[in-house]
Amino acid sequence: MTELRDTNRAMFWRILRRLLGANRGRLFVMLLALGAGAAVTAALLNLQVDAKRRLTTEFRAFGPNVLLVPRGSSGSSSGTLRESTIDRVPGNLPGGRVTVSSSLYLIINVSVPQSGKSVNAVVAGLNPLGIVKGSLRSSSAAASNLSEATPSSQDVCVAGAKFAQQLGAQPGTALVLTSSDRRESCRVASIRQTGGPEDNRLEIGLSAAQRLAGLADRISMVELTVPGTPGEIQTYIADLQRRLPDVDVRPIRQFTEGEAKIYSRISGLLTATVGIVLLLTALCVMAAMTNVAIERKMDVGLMKAIGGATRRVVRLFLAEAALLGLAGGLIGAALGILLSIALGKAVFGVAARPRLIVYPVAVGLTMLVAILSAFPLRRLASLRPASVFRGEA
Amino acid sequence: MFLRLVADSFGRRPRHKLLTGAALALGMGVATAALSVALDVGDRLAKEFRSLGANLVVTPKADSLPLEIGGVDYRPVNAGAYLPEADLPKLKTIFWHNNIMGFAPVLEAQVKASTYPKDKLVLDYRSVPTFMPVLGTWVNHEVKLPDGGTFVTGIEKTNPWWHVEGRWFVEGNNECVIGKNFAQKNGISRSAGLLTYNLDGKPGPTLAIVGILDSGGPEDDAIVVPLSIAQELAGKPGQYRKLYVSALTKPEDAFARKDPKTMTPPEYDRWFCTPYISSIAYQIQQELPGTDVRVIRRVAEGEGQILTHVEMLLWLVSLAAMLAAALAVGASSAASVIERQVEIGLMKALGAGSGTVGFLLAAEQLLLAFVGGGVGYALGIVLARLLGEKIFGAAPEPTLLVFSVVIGLAAVVTLLGSAIPLRRASRMEPAPILRGE
Repeated sequence: MTELRDTNRAMFWRILRRLLGANRGRLFVMLLALGAGAAVTAALLNLQVDAKRRLTTEFRAFGPNVLLVPRGSSGSSSGTLRESTIDRVPGNLPGGRVTVSSSLYLIINVSVPQSGKSVNAVVAGLNPLGIVKGSLRSSSAAASNLSEATPSSQDVCVAGAKFAQQLGAQPGTALVLTSSDRRESCRVASIRQTGGPEDNRLEIGLSAAQRLAGLADRISMVELTVPGTPGEIQTYIADLQRRLPDVDVRPIRQFTEGEAKIYSRISGLLTATVGIVLLLTALCVMAAMTNVAIERKMDVGLMKAIGGATRRVVRLFLAEAALLGLAGGLIGAALGILLSIALGKAVFGVAARPRLIVYPVAVGLTMLVAILSAFPLRRLASLRPASVFRGEA
Repeated sequence: MFLRLVADSFGRRPRHKLLTGAALALGMGVATAALSVALDVGDRLAKEFRSLGANLVVTPKADSLPLEIGGVDYRPVNAGAYLPEADLPKLKTIFWHNNIMGFAPVLEAQVKASTYPKDKLVLDYRSVPTFMPVLGTWVNHEVKLPDGGTFVTGIEKTNPWWHVEGRWFVEGNNECVIGKNFAQKNGISRSAGLLTYNLDGKPGPTLAIVGILDSGGPEDDAIVVPLSIAQELAGKPGQYRKLYVSALTKPEDAFARKDPKTMTPPEYDRWFCTPYISSIAYQIQQELPGTDVRVIRRVAEGEGQILTHVEMLLWLVSLAAMLAAALAVGASSAASVIERQVEIGLMKALGAGSGTVGFLLAAEQLLLAFVGGGVGYALGIVLARLLGEKIFGAAPEPTLLVFSVVIGLAAVVTLLGSAIPLRRASRMEPAPILRGE
């Protein structure tokens, strides 16, 4: 009995091999259709998983989205925070690192010794100095000779465009800052135009500003750039408020709300596009495969003529389809993942991380499509072998 | 005879042709849907990005340096320059006036105010210790345009993240909205009213509080009133200090970053006629003399970067989808030729040349391509509409470009798919094929 089954099984595989090898052209065509489907499935699924995560990183182009200000203050006029507050801000999130920038604001007299011009201006002590909100790029219309540098040492400063215009300051100009009896000097390293309040300010190192104000270890505000999806940012803010009860944690609503809206739009668009493309591609591959399958009347007729039971014949063809689906899926999905890596690189400049889960999903879907498209062969069960050979059916 | 052969081929194998046609239609449906969405997405998303609010700010050129910390200006009252409100309708006369989605002028003032319950007035303003910031602006303001039309705009367009509990004030009604913190600190509820006094202590208008503003910014500590009331309180009739403009723009590219002064005339025309944020800023500056129009870089550049990336992503997705559809359709038409070797052999045995056979099969495939491509286009447009309506609430317009691309793609793919097996078939001798070898 076992012997018979073994022989049967050996025969089954032998027929299968022959079926696949019989027509090279057909084999190639089927693998092409299935492989193309699998490639696009794998590429889009991988991109879909990766792009959503990447989008949240993209949104950080808007700069800081959370503020820490002293409790009860209206902006930053009254009250300061201890500088050590920032040590209590959790820095690592699943979406990436939180960027922290602390600042101290004062209104003092700034003068240019060279020309004798002086003006009362807002001076912001920043740590780290030169942190980019939006972009540092000076507008093309403002002036073409503005140089750009990230100041690192203590005695350099960054001047806002309007501030520089009022004082006639150029990159390299020396400035003197006086606050009652305290004096500091600095050299303008770059001039920037942001369109925001930074345009009216002079930015210096935090410790210089603290010396000028006579407020050692005090800051007026902390700006946080929190990565992640809008939901994750909300959770982070709530958590931070619990950890720092003596500080007001405020989302910058312009960006947190705008981002939430745009994020849901973009991810919805991406999901819907990928869904439609996958569905149609599956149907398209299925139609192409069915087309090939119903051509095989001759094969079915012959098998039935020499005594194959309908069930066995159908099983043979289903096994063939599954094998083809597996092969096409494996090749296609590998290509698709390479494709998505290239796409990720082209769009976001960083290669998309291949997700292992995508690979079996794409191969499984391809096999499913291949098997489903072999099902019309069931109809051939009612075929009369004789009429096939006479060429009637 | 030729037509009869083609018609016969369709009549004899209807199932087969139907399936090839279905594969074609589905594949081209993918291509159409993906292309339509990718073509349309830039404009739609640019509109979505306006939920970030204004991307341009206009200030007086001759202004003294604002002493602004955390959104509060510490300059002495009356310092600095102002701009005339009467010039504002000109904003909608610039070349890209349709891209100006909204604008709102802002004037700050300081008042002393005391509250009164609706029934009982408390007239002693001296009990209020400090001056309070007042912000005058437009809400649902109707601007009369020079061409006779009207344009409704206001702070709700430029700062869409401001929420009002209750309702916004109606202009001309002596109403106001107070900030969340202001209300909390002073224990004022929405049913109260405000009695205002300007800087000299002279009584100003009495305002009914109709809403509580939650802005998440310094406005939460202020009283927000219609611009005309702020002008009266500040003694600056017909003037404003700062203007926020929200404009639909095209993401900046390398060309947009060139200095307009160094451009050649044709380049300048191209720059002027493209809705780059820099060219819109330039046009506004031309219309409003004595102003300084600055791009809010934080908004504009973040927006530009994300928009470019998302657009590119969708283009690549649609390209990948088209490629897959093309391969599947090509495979389908290749299969339909491979299975017809007997037929080809018979035709050749009866004296048809390779050219005639090829022509016949190509005609069949092209017919299928046009029918399948047409159906696929219709299918794709319906899907793109559904997608657009669901996500953006607006359907993409069907374009001739997509139609011609799709039909052309269908024709090329089916011809290429059948050309390779056809060449192999035409090289074969008819006799072995007919013998079934």
